[in-house]
Amino acid sequence: MSDVIKAQGVDFSYRVLTNHQSSLKTLFKDFVNRKVRIENYQALKDLSFSVTKGETVAIIGKNGAGKSTLLKLLAQVVPPTTGQLKVIGSVAPMIELGAGFNPELTGRENIIFYSALLGRDIKEVKARVEEIADWAGITDHLDYQLRTFSSGMIARLAFSTATDQVPDLLLIDEVLSVGDGEFAFKSKKRMQEIITSGTTVILVSHDLVTVAQLANRVIWLEKGAMKMVGNPSEVIAAYQLSGG
Amino acid sequence: MRAKKLSLSSLTGFSKNNLQLLRLLVQQELTLRYKRSVIGIGWTLLNPMLTSFVLWIVFSFLFAGKLQAGQQFAPYLMAGILLSTFFNQGLLQAANSIAANGGILTKVAVPPKIFAFAASLAAYTNFLIGLIPLALVVYISGQSLSINLPIVFIMGFFLALFVAGIGLALSVIFIRFDDAKNIINVLLLILIYLTPVFYPLSILSEQMQRLVNLNPLTSYLDIFRWSFSGNAIASVGDFIYLAVTGIFFFVIGNYIFKRYWPRTVSML
Repeated sequence: MSDVIKAQGVDFSYRVLTNHQSSLKTLFKDFVNRKVRIENYQALKDLSFSVTKGETVAIIGKNGAGKSTLLKLLAQVVPPTTGQLKVIGSVAPMIELGAGFNPELTGRENIIFYSALLGRDIKEVKARVEEIADWAGITDHLDYQLRTFSSGMIARLAFSTATDQVPDLLLIDEVLSVGDGEFAFKSKKRMQEIITSGTTVILVSHDLVTVAQLANRVIWLEKGAMKMVGNPSEVIAAYQLSGG
Repeated sequence: MRAKKLSLSSLTGFSKNNLQLLRLLVQQELTLRYKRSVIGIGWTLLNPMLTSFVLWIVFSFLFAGKLQAGQQFAPYLMAGILLSTFFNQGLLQAANSIAANGGILTKVAVPPKIFAFAASLAAYTNFLIGLIPLALVVYISGQSLSINLPIVFIMGFFLALFVAGIGLALSVIFIRFDDAKNIINVLLLILIYLTPVFYPLSILSEQMQRLVNLNPLTSYLDIFRWSFSGNAIASVGDFIYLAVTGIFFFVIGNYIFKRYWPRTVSML
């Protein structure tokens, strides 16, 4: 089996100025008065793991444990501070769907732009625009500006666009379904199809029931470090015992 | 060993799909700006003409007679305005583009530079559209277009590099320090006044002339005016300065961005 993700000793920290105002003036003043202190905030500590093709790995942990930061690293939005992280293949982040939607553009233009942001080929997308809109149930509004859409419509369009192509690696931050009623059911079904289709999935969720259902393996993060890794039932049981 | 195929994507490090995205962003930048106005993209044509007209009323009394024989003040002025707009707008938009698209950059893995390049290229495209009314003004004032016209495109290319480079370097500074924008605005104003946009170089003292000639924008502008309608003199030195500053600032801007971006992205 080939590794899709390989992390070795991954640390992630960012620097925080003890002074919160970020202006040149205060920085200069504090510098003269020797008041500037830079503190390192370590969000992830020494993570080593690998994920093989087709696996579904869930990341659980309390708020602030570093789950979302780890997803950002896997999405290759930020590089690790030290350590090595290799991610192979196309990555589709389902993190805050619709980041990149522009209210001034039409539904059609937004589908194309969002897909281009996700690294897809525009020609292929153009041929699929109608189908994407149809699946989201917004065909009538396709050529209106996005600001005329209801928030439910925007969420449906974002979900439909994001899941239109199955990537090699799917990163999910709590987005397992959108909308209400029929669409919630439909989107959940599509999500489960994608997850079980052989795509590698990294899933961040607080919903332990879903995690137990979908994941092959669970990583438990606490204060940025790996507390436990293993099969879902064991890790979830230990996590619940600790009061999570 | 097989030679690597030389293509746009191998030169920039962008994938083919990234280049498609770049084109999409330039299109968006051009259409969105005027989307809600009645005459739409027509503003791109009208705006430099109106600005030039106002300045022409003010300055033609002062400077029109000071130009060298054969040069005309109206196209001289308008060329200056087009180029300074290209520089100013392109630079500020490139510098802002990274912060403005922070929501995207913290969630999707797109090369962040793409937004700054798009802003620079959009300013270049706007500039090219502005050449149409400029050509009109050239004919109205009794001049004709020069056969060196194609050089304008090369000048624009180097200015786009210059703008993208400085814009990238500024973009990380803008994210880190809120008040950097105000300081840069003042510096930009000084730089524009040190460019012969609306005055002829000859009205300045020799000392000031030397200072103005040090400004790379002066070389860009001289080359632009010379190659469009023979409205200035461009020396070999100007061409060397153009190429050197364009490439230098592009490389240095990319370097600064690459160095500081990993630390800056967590501030978005």
